[in-house]
Amino acid sequence: MSVLLDARSLVKHLGGRRVVDGVDLVCESGQIVGLLGPNGAGKTTTLRMLYGFLHADDGRIHVDGVELGRDLVRAKRSIGVCTQDDTFDGDFTVEQNLTIAASYFRPRPTDLTRRVAELLERFELGPYAREKPETLSGGYRRRLMIARALVHRPRLLFLDEPTTGLDPQARMGVWDLVDGLRAEGLGLILTTHYMDEAERLSDTVTVLARGRVVARGTAKTVLGDLVGEHVVVVGAGSGAAVAAWLTARGRGAPASVLGAWHVPLSGEELADFARAFPSLRYEVRGPTLDDLFLKLALAP
Amino acid sequence: MSWLAPALEWQSRAVVARHLRVYLRNWHTAFLPPAVEPVTMLVAFGVGLGGYVASLTWQGRPIEYMTYVAPGLLAYATFMTAIFQSLFAAFIRMRYQRTWEGQLTTQVALPHVIWGEVLWAGLLSTMYVAIVATVLAVLHAAGLLDLQVARLPVVLPIVFVAGCAFAALGLCFTALVPTIDHMNLPVFLLVLPMGLLSSTYFPLEHPWLVGLNLINPLHHLAELFRGILIGGPVMWHLAGVAILSALMLGILVPLDLRLLRRRVLGD
Repeated sequence: MSVLLDARSLVKHLGGRRVVDGVDLVCESGQIVGLLGPNGAGKTTTLRMLYGFLHADDGRIHVDGVELGRDLVRAKRSIGVCTQDDTFDGDFTVEQNLTIAASYFRPRPTDLTRRVAELLERFELGPYAREKPETLSGGYRRRLMIARALVHRPRLLFLDEPTTGLDPQARMGVWDLVDGLRAEGLGLILTTHYMDEAERLSDTVTVLARGRVVARGTAKTVLGDLVGEHVVVVGAGSGAAVAAWLTARGRGAPASVLGAWHVPLSGEELADFARAFPSLRYEVRGPTLDDLFLKLALAP
Repeated sequence: MSWLAPALEWQSRAVVARHLRVYLRNWHTAFLPPAVEPVTMLVAFGVGLGGYVASLTWQGRPIEYMTYVAPGLLAYATFMTAIFQSLFAAFIRMRYQRTWEGQLTTQVALPHVIWGEVLWAGLLSTMYVAIVATVLAVLHAAGLLDLQVARLPVVLPIVFVAGCAFAALGLCFTALVPTIDHMNLPVFLLVLPMGLLSSTYFPLEHPWLVGLNLINPLHHLAELFRGILIGGPVMWHLAGVAILSALMLGILVPLDLRLLRRRVLGD
């Protein structure tokens, strides 16, 4: 497997604030790297530096062996970008969106007609080829965005929250496509707020908080390390005793959501908790990205 | 001259080609306004106002009012086409259609997007003026105007350069105004005064306006076109157009880049 993205010690200041602070990220071919973090963690800024939209104040980015800061145009030839918001060209049809996107790359994609036909078929956009993108459903718009990002045959693809706002069926359709791209050897950088998506798709995740990398590894490992193996959901009304129990263990107040406390615990702590509160009604579930983001947001 | 280099790169041409493709697809609606506008203007100003001002003195000699107005129409079409393209159309592409953001995910960078808009406005102005010039040639053949029509092609490269300069001015406001509703500010505070007080439709002799027009590129453009098409001195106004266009491009394009980098990239 070859290294397609190698970013080291990235730093970015925006509005006088250090929004990215020493981020490292590596992606190899055939690998999906999930970039996770709560809003304001620096994900989008990091992503925008990685695909050459923003200049890094410090650090180095190599894309497919080319240093982005030295030869941006050549590096961008290897990159495909699917932004979070739809940025297709509303003046053109679905098919024309693919050809017009290809016109922004040199060397020009070879055999463009066949490439466009291939993408229309693969992304099931054929029936809509002559329609304007705004007439498509949310799922098909996403398909068009991804197809457009692939028209020039990039080796590294950035997917910024590719399934946000999609219904379950459309999400799974996008997952299948993304999984297929990995199988073909593309390197993919994925941001998402959905745990199931990160878990199913990412080979490894990198978690950002306040511009720094706070964890790295598989989705399950990261959640276990940062949140805990289990989360106990208990009514906040019955919480005085639970709060005292937590304080005795040096833990702060847990996240409160809709009148319920969500208390992350290790397996050992869960056993202690069950012994301490035999008659308390509570629910035990696995940790999710929501727990992680809440924990990071509440962290001092 | 690093600010100029992206203008010559293929990415800027790709952006221009994209705008041209959209324009040509709507050719029937795109070609009609520049063909109808000069006729309307000549009827309104030439026949209407000209009924009261049959002839006037220009460069010390009497000329028909219609003949005076015709070269002004070419200058005004250059100005309005470029400025409105860079104000409204560019703003819509940047803010609402998000065309720029889509382009920026490719090998096209922000300087190319900006130069693409500038060059496209210059090209569109040239195409509009070519249509207006064709209508003027027809009116000349019909005996309604007295122009040196063989010189009409000479104005086109000048239109292109001036159109690019006006577009650089328009993009400053595109970078600054928060919403499209705020476009009224540059339109009423700058575009209309600059257009109406530039001797495109009537000569201005008040010393203050004459002084102000020394730095109004549209005034120099209108007078240059009169010099070319009616017959008169051209060097002073040619120098005026060349120097002011160079200054506008040299100062405003880097400023546009700086302002739009902040607005579009948040950098």
